[in-house]
Amino acid sequence: MLLRYVTKRLLIGLVQLVVLTVAVFFLIRLLPADPISRFVGLNPSEEAYAQAERSLGLDRPVHVQLLHYLGLAPSQGTGLLQGDLGDSWVSGSPIAQEIGTFLPVTLELITISFFVAFLIAVPVGMLSATRPGGAADRGVFVYSLFAGSQPEFWWGLLFVYLFFFVLGVAPAPLGLLSPMTSEPAVITGFITIDSLLAGRLDVFLEALHHLMLPVATLVFILSGPIIKMVRQNMVRALQSDFVLYARCAGLPARRIAFYALRAAMAPSMTLIGILYGFMLGGAVLVESVFSLGGLGQYAIRSILAFDYPAIQGVVLVITAISLSVYLLLDILHAMIDPRVAY
Amino acid sequence: MTVASEPMDKPRRRIDVLFLIGVSIVSLTVFLALFGPVLAPYDPTVATGSYAVPPPPLADWPRLFWGSITGSLDQPPHWFGTDASGLDVFSRVIAAPRIDLTIALAANGLSLVFGVLLGLAAGYYKHWWTEVMMRASDVLQSFPVFISAMILVALAGRSMTNIVIALALLYTPIYIRLTRSEVLSQKVRGYVEAARAIGNSEAVIAFRHVLPNSLAPALIQASVTIGFAILLTAGLSFVGAGVRPPAPEWGLMISTGANQVILGEWWPSVFPGIAISVTVFGFAVLGNALERRYDGA
Amino acid sequence: MGILRKCALAGTAIVVPALAGPAAVNAAELLFLAEDVPAGLNYDGPAAAIPTSQTGMVNLMEPLFGYATAAPNEDGVIVPDFSTFEGRLVDTWSYDEATLTWTLNLRQGVMGCGGATFNADDVIYTFERAKSVSGAAPIGWFLSNVASIDGFTPDVFGDEAARALGDEVQRIDDYTVTIRQSEPNALFLPVLTIFGLHIFDAELMQANATEDDPWSHDYTNNVGVPSFGPYCLESWAKDDEIVFTANPDYYRGAPAIERVVMKRVPQSSNRVVILRTGQAQLVQKLTPREFDSLREASGITVAGVSGNENLFVHMNFDVPPFNDPLVREAVARAMPYDQIIQAGYFGQAERWAGVVPSSYPGFVAPADHQYDTDTDAAAALLEEAGYPGGAGLEAFEDAFQLTYVAEKETTLGPIVTAIQSSLRQAGFPVTLNPIPQTQYGDRQLVQRDLPFAINDQEKPIGVDAGYAVQLFFVSPEAGGLNNMVNYRNPDVDGLWAEARVEPDQAARDALLAEIQTTLMDDIAWLPVVEYRTQWAYSDRLQGMQWHPDNSIRFFDLSYAE
Repeated sequence: MLLRYVTKRLLIGLVQLVVLTVAVFFLIRLLPADPISRFVGLNPSEEAYAQAERSLGLDRPVHVQLLHYLGLAPSQGTGLLQGDLGDSWVSGSPIAQEIGTFLPVTLELITISFFVAFLIAVPVGMLSATRPGGAADRGVFVYSLFAGSQPEFWWGLLFVYLFFFVLGVAPAPLGLLSPMTSEPAVITGFITIDSLLAGRLDVFLEALHHLMLPVATLVFILSGPIIKMVRQNMVRALQSDFVLYARCAGLPARRIAFYALRAAMAPSMTLIGILYGFMLGGAVLVESVFSLGGLGQYAIRSILAFDYPAIQGVVLVITAISLSVYLLLDILHAMIDPRVAY
Repeated sequence: MTVASEPMDKPRRRIDVLFLIGVSIVSLTVFLALFGPVLAPYDPTVATGSYAVPPPPLADWPRLFWGSITGSLDQPPHWFGTDASGLDVFSRVIAAPRIDLTIALAANGLSLVFGVLLGLAAGYYKHWWTEVMMRASDVLQSFPVFISAMILVALAGRSMTNIVIALALLYTPIYIRLTRSEVLSQKVRGYVEAARAIGNSEAVIAFRHVLPNSLAPALIQASVTIGFAILLTAGLSFVGAGVRPPAPEWGLMISTGANQVILGEWWPSVFPGIAISVTVFGFAVLGNALERRYDGA
Repeated sequence: MGILRKCALAGTAIVVPALAGPAAVNAAELLFLAEDVPAGLNYDGPAAAIPTSQTGMVNLMEPLFGYATAAPNEDGVIVPDFSTFEGRLVDTWSYDEATLTWTLNLRQGVMGCGGATFNADDVIYTFERAKSVSGAAPIGWFLSNVASIDGFTPDVFGDEAARALGDEVQRIDDYTVTIRQSEPNALFLPVLTIFGLHIFDAELMQANATEDDPWSHDYTNNVGVPSFGPYCLESWAKDDEIVFTANPDYYRGAPAIERVVMKRVPQSSNRVVILRTGQAQLVQKLTPREFDSLREASGITVAGVSGNENLFVHMNFDVPPFNDPLVREAVARAMPYDQIIQAGYFGQAERWAGVVPSSYPGFVAPADHQYDTDTDAAAALLEEAGYPGGAGLEAFEDAFQLTYVAEKETTLGPIVTAIQSSLRQAGFPVTLNPIPQTQYGDRQLVQRDLPFAINDQEKPIGVDAGYAVQLFFVSPEAGGLNNMVNYRNPDVDGLWAEARVEPDQAARDALLAEIQTTLMDDIAWLPVVEYRTQWAYSDRLQGMQWHPDNSIRFFDLSYAE
């Protein structure tokens, strides 16, 4: 049963991806400009224009371009089916490779932020759930409402002003490493992991130092909804029958809290998954405040440069990741609760 | 349901305080949207001739305030300073709600109407095209919100109308989903059976009976989403896909000041940021209070 | 304990570069922060139009000719003497007017980074490659065409046979090459100084060619460019940094700075911060405001030159009401020039009195055709045009969207705001329209449909008034290339046809002066200001020199003892 469910979900996800790819392909071709003028630059003659158009493959009929992109036209070269996202029109490098350098930065930023936000949210959420309506609970409630409705880019700027300009304890918002630092060899693409693998503790600490403010900004924003959710689920779990039973059975309060937490985690994971998928693209504002060079900034660059294949690649990768996260969560859910699969 | 034991409902008074805060913030925003541009001491889009002037020190405010009431000053004070283009920050901050709120309300209105109608259809009729629509809205929702809004605005150009359309496109699936699930639970209720028994046509039942009963979740969602629409509008401006300068818009103001923050010139960015922060919080509080009232009812 | 100590040590290691500042820097190293690193090193490739790519090319490659230098300007920046050419890879040269043929005697004993020795084969290869028009943007062909080198005609795009290099560029012996022109054209020498005809190392280029890519475009787009320049490529990571090391065999002497790291720091304010901490020694492309803020900083020099960067207003002759000369002049009269110089450039700009960079040979400022700010005159002109006080102009609201490049908001924001404020007061319904660079380029170059725009990025790279005229003002039908305002004046076309092939310098200058006067009379462009090209750098750095492509040559620089 589970297998059939997973297959069905996978198929639906795949169809969605294909529809999305084709939709984005045509949507982008409605953009009011193409990047050819960037190429011709000094030599804006008609010949140069035609030459550049040819070199981008834009002189071919749209359906040929689409088939080529999807990888269904072997005569034109490789495409999506062969795992080729195409080459960027701006830099000429393969897009898969470019995304491979930008994506880890975003993943690193949001993973650390989620981890920290979760570490904070769980005890705080539990605390306020154990005494609902108490002063602590009220405070936490207002905080979570407030933090969940804030312009993160502005808080990022404010942090930069306070901690970099006024106090001087944070580095300038310049990216993950200062320009003088030699980067460790790329293994995973995650600077914190690569630096440790290379035994470069100094680089690791520097990266953490540079991540301090962006992570603080995101943790502040993320902690709002996460606390709210942990609290809600905890309250629900604490009122459930099994907790009542555990209480009656005279189990120690600590033990009960642990059971309740475990029960509260399952629904919480779903929301965290959705939030995580959202932040893949949603971290773009924080990335640009701190010039981190993540996927969102790559997306902005590509959109402003009308770099069609790169825009397609970014949208595809982000959507594919979010869909896989949802899928994974659904499968986990189905494994825990077999009723879902029916 | 365990509504009765939902602990947040017990101390009614506190919720009313929050509700009051929400209502006052929202009312102030609406007031500024209506009268802000008129009250602004300077034209928010015309250079004043003094560039990057910091706000006056707090100690001078009473004197300046007195002066501006009695008209004894040569020119109105720049309460929040001026930006690098010489625009008065205070005038722009209070003139901005007209743009921010209009975008947020229009986008929500549009998506609410379409979302509720489509959601009603999807919930009430089971057809192949309602299925397709739900799958399509799935795809639309799995889209990276921010990036797609940027693409849409880049596609159609930076104007208020296009931003409204982009936001509406992104929000419609939310309303479809909410309304659909509410309709699904409503249409099996007794009153529907009753209406059908009297001989009402399906369309009449759907629109006259099910629709009004299924509106609440979408309406409550709207009050939260208005706040988020303001955030998204500002965010779009921040990455250069929002309204055009020099329109007074909070996100745009933060964005144009952002480059100077690192050099210590904080005022062009900080004041509009406070405005967004408070406003969106106001809408969130109001939405939350409404949600509780509805759930408690 | 052990781990703790390690952490503490590592902690101090981070702080050191920030605190130690300049002292920690190797005396012969330079960290140069730019808005980007080269996106390609192929001048016929897709990245050739990007200034930072050009910076990479000019430091790694070597031209046939260069300009002699003149005395330093008031900021101590050395500027070129555009009237005197200097042989670079060319040792001596002669020109035969009868056969229109240049004979170039090449310099001997020039060593490239790959160990190859420069000779005539490298020159032949370079022109063969240019004529193959095999790259995404055939700049080498274009420049040869501009210089009227025989055979470099648009035919090469249609006819494969026309792409082979004939006897127009001929190898006489190992160190002698002749180049033949199809008509007299004064642009020959200026064009050969431009990066788009710098000389490749033929051997290494061919070694990196493939069957699909016989002219090594992939290699030069992505890996490196072999030539005979002052620097060699040590490493290159696009979007991050490029490292140059001195070519010890460089024929003009080994460069004083042994290693240059050019690092991408896209936000200008970030470049300011790093320069101030002393970690970087040289930055470029800051906003005028940021340069101004650094002027007082200790240990930092801000220097600039009135080179060839300028700002003008673009009014499209094909879009009403800009086809009305009265409206054009009214706009010119309502323009807040002084405010732009102060608010936009902090005084680091001057009114532009013509339509050609004032530092270029052949520039004239027609005294009778200057349009100072005069609101009364603007009002009178508007009334005469039939729009008293601007009434009636509302119909043209779309045309009055002042378009500019959105990415330049920090620099252009104050300027367009000032223009908008002034023009609105004069009755023009101006709104602002920032669009992405790519879209701006597309509308300017390809569609040519921008009605009203502000432009600060047109620098005629050929240092010659005639080149600028042909590029911007000759009608497309008469061979104009980047006539973005759709200006069509048969007089200008005719005068340029004469000037182009006029062998006598004085007569050519007179024709060009007449053209420039006509352009100012018609307000073909509305010139606003020429702004200074500026750099900020450690005050120990000396020898800064300006070149017309605005790229820094690291070879010029050295540290004071």
